[in-house]
Amino acid sequence: MSDQASLYHPLPQPDEIPVRDREDAMGAYLMMFAAVAVALPLPVINLIAAVIYYYVNRRKSRFIHFHSLQSLLSQLPTTFLNWGLLYWGLQVWLFHNTETDDLFWGYVGMVVVANILYFVFSLIAAVRARKGRMYYFLFFGKLSYDMVFSVNRSFRYAGEDDLKTLQNKPPF
Amino acid sequence: MLLEIKRQERYSRAELLLRSVFGFLYIAIPHGLALMFVGIAAGVLQFLAFWSILFTGRYPESWFEFQVKYIRWNLRVSASLFNLVDGYPKFGLNAHHDSIQFEIPYPESISRSSVLLRFFFGWLYVMLPHGFILMLLAYAVLFVNFIAFWAILFTAEYPESMFEFQVRYLRWSQRVSCYISYLTHEYPPFSGSSDQQVTTT
Repeated sequence: MSDQASLYHPLPQPDEIPVRDREDAMGAYLMMFAAVAVALPLPVINLIAAVIYYYVNRRKSRFIHFHSLQSLLSQLPTTFLNWGLLYWGLQVWLFHNTETDDLFWGYVGMVVVANILYFVFSLIAAVRARKGRMYYFLFFGKLSYDMVFSVNRSFRYAGEDDLKTLQNKPPF
Repeated sequence: MLLEIKRQERYSRAELLLRSVFGFLYIAIPHGLALMFVGIAAGVLQFLAFWSILFTGRYPESWFEFQVKYIRWNLRVSASLFNLVDGYPKFGLNAHHDSIQFEIPYPESISRSSVLLRFFFGWLYVMLPHGFILMLLAYAVLFVNFIAFWAILFTAEYPESMFEFQVRYLRWSQRVSCYISYLTHEYPPFSGSSDQQVTTT
């Protein structure tokens, strides 16, 4: 257990995380509503918002980096599923290239369930992030944790950069 | 909310002519395009901030700062197109113009009921009365802008009363915009006077 722990940076505890960081972490999960905000029901809008949010905020702190990365990665499956449904739906109802069958309705059901699950778990994650807590999604949680907290990842954060310039300096 | 634009002692006639003839080409179009994309992000954040305020009672601080920076950029472009300041407005959210000052104190907590009231009835008690007056004033602003153009062309100075009128219009419309977008909880006064003038009267 201790060997495993030494491979990762220590997790920040809720009382160490400023409210501002918690809010930024929470905001990452709210990007799933971006399409509603711009009134464009295209599955890619949320993903674009999540990508922009991730790149703007990832250097602020590990806590924000983790949550925005988890939010971004967890959007990928539902985005692809939604695109599939959009494409299939257009083929059926707009271009009349194919007809609805049991497979189609099965796919619709799967997409609806996936979206509901994504919505519910993202809201839980947003609330947890606002409280300064970690919350791990299935698969994406472990992946994000590994990408953000692993000591092998040399990623500089805002505060750490300052510390670096203040302390060790080259001999020339 | 603080919005001040410093009046220059002298204005460049060449810049004035260049801005008036080609301003749409080298200021409005490039800045407009950039601001359109930033504006989409600001719109999304404002929509999400509404929900955040509703559930947490706070406007996320970094989103608030983003909105303030977006407004500053807009003001730089507006002030330039109104001929209130010389020089090309800088691109970017972190850029500043020495003559333009815009500040809003960050509200630590925002009343949820006030936000709901603005969301459902803002059009009635904010947009309608203020919008009507601002719409009428917009015609006056265009007229004053036209007169000021000739005044600057001949004297290289922006007449003080005209300058103040334009700034007051910008300040008034900005106050309404900030109130309706939950950046401030103070109902905008029916005037474009600066904060000091409002408190002394």
